[in-house]
Amino acid sequence: MNDELERLILNNRTSIQDEEPLEGHFERFEARLQKAAKPTRRINFQPFLKIAAMVVFALLAVNQARIYFFPEKTETLSLGSISPEYREVEFYYTNAIQLGMNQWDKLKKEGFISETEQQMMQKEQAEFDQMYQKLIEDLKANPDDERVINAMLEYYQARMNVITMIINKLQEVKQQKYQKDEIKI
Amino acid sequence: MEAQYPNIYHDVIERCRKGDTKAQFELYKLYYKPMYNVCLRMVGNEVEAEDVMQEAFLNALTKIDTYEGKVSFGAWLKRIVINRSLDQLKKRKVKFEELNEKIPDEEPASLHIGEIQMEYLKKAIQKLPDGFRVVLSLYLLEGYDHEEIAQILGITNVSSRTQFLRAKLKLREMLQKEELFEYN
Repeated sequence: MNDELERLILNNRTSIQDEEPLEGHFERFEARLQKAAKPTRRINFQPFLKIAAMVVFALLAVNQARIYFFPEKTETLSLGSISPEYREVEFYYTNAIQLGMNQWDKLKKEGFISETEQQMMQKEQAEFDQMYQKLIEDLKANPDDERVINAMLEYYQARMNVITMIINKLQEVKQQKYQKDEIKI
Repeated sequence: MEAQYPNIYHDVIERCRKGDTKAQFELYKLYYKPMYNVCLRMVGNEVEAEDVMQEAFLNALTKIDTYEGKVSFGAWLKRIVINRSLDQLKKRKVKFEELNEKIPDEEPASLHIGEIQMEYLKKAIQKLPDGFRVVLSLYLLEGYDHEEIAQILGITNVSSRTQFLRAKLKLREMLQKEELFEYN
């Protein structure tokens, strides 16, 4: 172990280890130190960003849960959502309209309605639907406005009247046809 | 805190913990030289050595809170410097594995040591292949034993020993050549 070479190196450790870095290393280090000091300030923002992200995430989660657990709240607005009385009125009209439409479908199946009549009816219905959408928009904007509510009621009435009128006419035609058939027999 | 190593520069170290840039620069001034020499012996190139040494300082400063005072601050810093130097060597793909070959017994010293000048010795050490130079420096200059070197380099104790012996042989060979060159 104790050979000459080893001893030589060991004895001259200090002079071997006496190298100086290249000129200007202090300045270079100072620059690096300053450069390194700046990002630490920026890193301090990270907890805030994390908290902000967590808050946003929590809000999103709560909102999602709300939508999931209480879907009634987001249900579309209609006349019935104003008061229980109006709900009843709305129910009456929609029911009557639905009944009329069912009869229409029945008559259509039986072949009492021509192609042009069907087209006319479709157009009529589309117009009513459009009107309804507009009224809903108005209702959304002014839920307590009497005029809007009255307009809604008038709309239902008109729609129901049109349908019952058409159905009545068709029923008449049907009746007459049956009578004719009976006479023939 | 109980087993606090009595550091001479305790005050500076404490200020560094608080992120005092002035103290950090002071610390550099206190330790740059021994650390630079460790780096230089390990990476074997002045520019790279400076870069690695400064990088190691910055690294040490960011994790100064992990210094528990179980060893001297210099020893703690030196380990970081050595590790950063090893990272640098890894980039060069230096391997510290050792073949299990038989190392010839040390030949009788035919070296006229008195005639070797320090400059040659330094240059010769510098010119050693990376693996040899690292083991030789860690053992002779930094004073680590083979057990510690094995741990630092991730090799076996035996590999560290053989690597060291081969490094010495190589160094001697280089010095003899240098000597011949001088005489001719």
